[in-house]
Amino acid sequence: MSRQRKNRGFPAWMLILAVALVVVAGYVLFKHADGSTSLRTVEELDPNLYCSNANSLRGNTYRIDAEINAALGNSPSKGRLFSVMLHGGRQGDRQVILPVLVPTSLGKLTIQKGQHYLMKVNVGEGGLLIVEEARKP
Amino acid sequence: MKKLFCRTAAGLVLLLAAVSLDAQNAQTIHEVGQQYKEGNPLQGAQDNRVIGSEAMFEANLKAKKNIVDMKPNTFLAMWNNPVFAVQFEKYLSAPAETSEDYTLYTQRLQRIMDLLAPGNATKSNQDEAFNLLTKASQFESDANICTTIHDAVYAAANVRVLVRNLTDANQQNLRDLKTAEYNQLNSALSLALPALAPGKNDVDVYKDMEKEVQAAKLDPSKAEVSALKQTIQKNKAQIATAEVQAKFQLQALILQLFVQRRYQHVIILDRFYRAIFDDGDQSLEQFNQMADRMGYNKEAGQAKITADAAPTGAIASGAADNAHPGVGASAGTGGGAGGGAGAGVGTGYYGGGMNAMALSGSGMNLGVENLSVESAQNALSTAMRTASRTFKSLSQIDSVSNEIIRDVNEGVKVYKFLLGKDEMESAASQLAAVFSKGEYLPSVRTLSQEDKRKTLAYAQLCNRLVNAANSGNIDVLSDVVEQMKKMNPGFDDAEIHAKLQGVKTASSLLVAQAKVAAAKGDLQSVQTEITRAAALWPNNPELQTFSAEISRVSEKASPQVKALADFDMLHGQGNYRRIFDERERYIAAVAVDDSDKKAARQAKLREVMDRMQEIEGAIMRSQEISRRGDPTGAWEGLEIAFEKYPDDPKLTQMRADLTTQAPDFVNDIRQAKENEGRKEYGEALTWYLQAQGRYPMSDLAKQGIQRVVRQIAPDAN
Repeated sequence: MSRQRKNRGFPAWMLILAVALVVVAGYVLFKHADGSTSLRTVEELDPNLYCSNANSLRGNTYRIDAEINAALGNSPSKGRLFSVMLHGGRQGDRQVILPVLVPTSLGKLTIQKGQHYLMKVNVGEGGLLIVEEARKP
Repeated sequence: MKKLFCRTAAGLVLLLAAVSLDAQNAQTIHEVGQQYKEGNPLQGAQDNRVIGSEAMFEANLKAKKNIVDMKPNTFLAMWNNPVFAVQFEKYLSAPAETSEDYTLYTQRLQRIMDLLAPGNATKSNQDEAFNLLTKASQFESDANICTTIHDAVYAAANVRVLVRNLTDANQQNLRDLKTAEYNQLNSALSLALPALAPGKNDVDVYKDMEKEVQAAKLDPSKAEVSALKQTIQKNKAQIATAEVQAKFQLQALILQLFVQRRYQHVIILDRFYRAIFDDGDQSLEQFNQMADRMGYNKEAGQAKITADAAPTGAIASGAADNAHPGVGASAGTGGGAGGGAGAGVGTGYYGGGMNAMALSGSGMNLGVENLSVESAQNALSTAMRTASRTFKSLSQIDSVSNEIIRDVNEGVKVYKFLLGKDEMESAASQLAAVFSKGEYLPSVRTLSQEDKRKTLAYAQLCNRLVNAANSGNIDVLSDVVEQMKKMNPGFDDAEIHAKLQGVKTASSLLVAQAKVAAAKGDLQSVQTEITRAAALWPNNPELQTFSAEISRVSEKASPQVKALADFDMLHGQGNYRRIFDERERYIAAVAVDDSDKKAARQAKLREVMDRMQEIEGAIMRSQEISRRGDPTGAWEGLEIAFEKYPDDPKLTQMRADLTTQAPDFVNDIRQAKENEGRKEYGEALTWYLQAQGRYPMSDLAKQGIQRVVRQIAPDAN
């Protein structure tokens, strides 16, 4: 009988596959780590505090996790106004609904009812929340 | 209410018909008043107006000047003269002149009168009396009249001396005249003629020489005779003038003193006159001639006296200043009253005559109208002529003075007697008469204050009566009449009471007429008649009753008027809910409103109805929503109406009730509105969104969101 070759070494195709997997995983990890880094450091908005005295928060920047509720208006000069429902933010038994202004600088952002966004907002004049950055989670 | 109104109107119609039948023959206020009392209140309105006018004319106290014009009794008639009333009240209030000075004064006057009495007026007594004049004049009561008499007598006596001297001089002149005439005759007879007749050619020369000789011898004696004759005539004329003037002065002073009611002085001066002019001539011829010669300036008119103050001084000085200086000087009074005093003499004498009314003659000389030298002369002239026609001799004046003194003294006794009998009216009248006749006589001046006290009280009451009558207040007048009757049971108040009753009846008639006018809805006549009734009798109890009745009846008889008044009041108060609640009443009233406010009222009513219908619509919708179990929607419906009409009580109450049923939504809306008001549009939008989240159908939230979005982004679509 003939003797089978048992120690021939690691097959090449498996090595190529492994390298490819590592490259893809690295890419994915890189991409993911780059998107969450800018919002992770921003403080989350306290809806109760905002509702009680938004004016005192003026100039601050917060992070909100919200779902688009409705479009309130579209201004060529100012941007788009939306009402959003905060995820996890509740007042009593009801969800908190806040107005946000998506300025014209974020005009390319596609926003429609039901979409989920992580937003970085600034408390502007009159307590209005102005979106500085928005990203789908 | 309607039934009552119909019954009232029907009753008045029947009443008018009945009266027009029953009272047709009533032609006077008394007749109508009697019928009114008997239950037949009124005639037709027109007839009543005539009767009312007649009543006003008949009964108006002011139109009649005053009630004492009717002279209900003597004393009141006297009080009708305010000048007399003041003087008499002053006398009644003054204490009696019982001082030693006054006693001494009266004694001296009496002594003078005794010394000059017929049979006693010897030369020495005349001198003593003359000397006593200056002493009597020292007393205040005399008012220096004795000094005036003294000076007048002295002047007259001097005239007598002058006359005597002139008479003596004339007698000497006559003797000298006779001597001069004799000498003249002898001179004429002793003219020496030439021994030889002149030649034919010398005749003319001879005649000229003869004339020159005659003139040289006779002219001095002729001149002496002529001068003597002239002197004699001149003296005769001076004698006549001086005596006439002296007599006139004394006679004028006597008459003046008589007018002044200084009767004792009249008698004294009269007796001096007789002593001075002892020629037996007692006539007032000189005075009368002088009076007749005085002219009357028609253009100047007569001076008019308006009041009274110091009568005696005024009269004397007036005569002195304006017409005859001699008379004035002899009067001796000051010139303060000026010409007005002269006017006083004339008018006073006219009013007085020679007997009891002498007060008027001396008591009315304070103010003078139309005063001028000419008018004062007219007054004096008139007075003198009147006096000259009244008295023809000094004896008349003397006897009248004596008679008045006796009469006054007797009157004082009668007064005391009547006072003791409590017959006040007669006593007061007696005292007033005595005072008017002989104010300055001792018996009047020495009357004690106690004796005058009751009359003073009575006089003051009379004063009140006159004032009350002049004021036209018949309630006060009735009160005073009652008091007078109480004080003096003999007071004749029948005519006054009749007058008062006439006034009251007239007032009642006018009230009744006002009722008729009210029933006809003639408010203008009501006002007129009530005003007239109140003018006649301000406290007429029927006026009060009528006022209450008319208020009550007007409410019942005219609901429309009341409704319009209420509508105006409620609209002014902004009480639109009340107007809406009673809208049927006000709609009907405004519909038949015939005043010039109708258009304005209609517009107001329409506005109120529109407003209330909107409110009521909101309330009904809200109630319906609430019944469906939607208190938030119900509240929201009311809130929208409330923003427009915040003052409606029903709306406010319902909104308050629903607020408790939807508190969170209400809170969201309120917060949103507050922030919107503060221009915190971000917060406001948040709250509106919250509200909309609670109640997605909310119009308030939706509208709020739209408003705020427009504020944030005006160009938003």
